[in-house]
Amino acid sequence: MLLELSDVTLRYGRIQALHGISLTVNEGEIVALIGANGAGKTTTMRAISGLRPIASGRIIFNGEDITRLRPDQRVLRGLCQAPEGRGIFPGMTVLENLEMGAYTRRDKAGIAADMKRVFELFPRLAERRNQPGGTLSGGEQQMLAVGRALMAHPKLLLLDEPSMGLAPMLIQQIFSIITEINKQGTTVLLVEQNAQQALSRAHRAYVLETGRIVKAGTGQELLHDEAVREAYLGVA
Amino acid sequence: MNVELLTSQFWDLTVTGLALGAIYALVALGYTLVYGLLQLINFAHSEVFMVGTYAALIAWGWAGLTQESPIPGLLGMIGYLVIGLIAAAVASGGTALIVERVAYRPLRRRNVPRLVFLITAIGVSVVISELVGVLTDRHRAGIPRLVERSTVISIGDFEITNVQLGVIVAAIAMMVGLDLFINRTRLGRGIRAVAQDPDTAALMGVNQDRVVMLTFLLGGLLAGGAALLYDISLENTRYNVGFLLGIKAFTAAVLGGIGNLRGALLGGLLLGVVEQYGSALWGNEWRDVVAFVVLVVILMFRPTGLLGESLGKARV
Repeated sequence: MLLELSDVTLRYGRIQALHGISLTVNEGEIVALIGANGAGKTTTMRAISGLRPIASGRIIFNGEDITRLRPDQRVLRGLCQAPEGRGIFPGMTVLENLEMGAYTRRDKAGIAADMKRVFELFPRLAERRNQPGGTLSGGEQQMLAVGRALMAHPKLLLLDEPSMGLAPMLIQQIFSIITEINKQGTTVLLVEQNAQQALSRAHRAYVLETGRIVKAGTGQELLHDEAVREAYLGVA
Repeated sequence: MNVELLTSQFWDLTVTGLALGAIYALVALGYTLVYGLLQLINFAHSEVFMVGTYAALIAWGWAGLTQESPIPGLLGMIGYLVIGLIAAAVASGGTALIVERVAYRPLRRRNVPRLVFLITAIGVSVVISELVGVLTDRHRAGIPRLVERSTVISIGDFEITNVQLGVIVAAIAMMVGLDLFINRTRLGRGIRAVAQDPDTAALMGVNQDRVVMLTFLLGGLLAGGAALLYDISLENTRYNVGFLLGIKAFTAAVLGGIGNLRGALLGGLLLGVVEQYGSALWGNEWRDVVAFVVLVVILMFRPTGLLGESLGKARV
C-alpha cells in the first residue's frame, strides 16, 4: 500500500469538512475521488499534501506516518500535487515553472531526462518554454501543472481537477496522458467532477458526499452503479 | 526660489544626489524584498542598517584605524574596506535574521492580522535603536577617513569624486548581484515562488521558513553594504541614523513600486536627486519636505509606484 488515510477528520474553524475519511492507494493504480462541489474532494487532497492540518486520524505514505510533516517534507518523500486551479507561477516562464517542479531534486541528468519526457508528452509546452506562465491559455496551464508535478518524479501524483475548464477535446487528451503516465509507472490519485472520464480511466474509485466516503469500488463497478449514474453521470 | 543655484550647480547636485540615492536604493531593496514575500513592512530594517554602520566602525577600531590615524595607502584602504564590509554584512545580516526569528516567526505561526506585524516592527525598531543609544550615550561617532577625496572624472561642469563614483558603482554591483541571484538561481526561484503563490510553492517542496530567512538575510547583507558606503561617504554615525534614512529608503521603495526590485533602484536614485534639487531651490531645510511631497504627488497619480507590479506578479 502506497498511501493510506485512516479516519481522517478536518475542520475549517467550527465547520467540520471531513468526517472520518479512510481510503487507500496501491502502487501502480489510478484511483479517483468523485463527488459534487463541496463534497470535500479538494479538502481531502489538501490534507494529503499537508496544506491543511488534520484534526484527527492518520496518513501513512510508503510505510511512514506523515500526518505531522510539513508539505515540503512530504514532497521530499515522493508525494507531489498539481493543485486545484493549476497554481501556475504567473511571473515565471514555462521552463522556470517546470524547474520549480524539480525544486527538491539534485540529480541533473534525471531532471533533464524528465524535462525531455514532459516536452514529449506536451509538445505545446516545448513551443512556449520561454513564455511567462500567466500568458498561457487555460488548457496550456493545465498541461503545465501536470508537467510540473511530473518534474518532481513523484511516487504518487495527486491531481486536483485536471479537466476543469477544458474543452472536451482537451479533456480527452489530458486523460489519455494521465493513463500514459500511469503506464510509465507513476501511481495517480485523482479528484474529478468529470465522473465519466475519471471512472473509465481509474482502477478504483471512491464517491465522496459531504465529507464522507459513501461508496467505493472499481471504476467499472461504479460506472455501472445505478445511484452513481443518476447522481454523477446524468443518466436516469 | 533659487533657480540660479540649481542651474549653476546642476551637475554637482545630480552627482551628490545619485551617490546618496544609491545608498537609499540598497536599503530600499531590503524593504521591498520582505514586502514582496510577506506583504510585511519591516520597519526594523532601518536599525539593521544602523547596526551595520557601527559594526564597520568597531571593526576598524580593532584593526587599528582611528580618527587620529593617517589616511591609509591603497593596500591598507582595500584591507580596511574588506574588513568593514565583512563586519557590516555580518552584523546587519545577523540582526535581520535574529529579528525574523525572534519577532516575526512566532507571529507568522499564529497567523495574526497584519497590523500586529506592523506594531511589532515599530517596536523592534525602537528597541534596537534605543539599545544602541544607551550603549553609546547617544553620542555621534566620527568615522576615520579611509579615502582621500579626489576628482576622478571631469567633463565641463560635470565632476565626480572617487568616493562618489565608488559608492554608485558598488551599489549598482550589489543590486545586479541580487537581481542575478533572484532570477537565475534555484534559491532565487524559491523566493519568487513563495512570493507568487506560497501554497503552490510548498507543494513543490519549498521550505517556506527557509525562504523567509534567506530573504531577510539578503536584505540584511545589502543593508550592511549600504552601511559601509554610508560610513565612507558621511564619515559619522549615531544611534538614530537609521530613522530618517529608513523612512527615505522606504519612500524610495514605494516610489518605485514596493515589491519591485528594479523599482527600488529607480526610486532611490530619483529620491536622492530630487532632494538635492529641492534643497538648492528652497534651501537645505526644505530637503526632506521636498522628498515627501514628491512621494505624495507621485502616489496620487500612480498609487502602485512608478514601476508598479510586485515581486509576485512580475518578472522582476
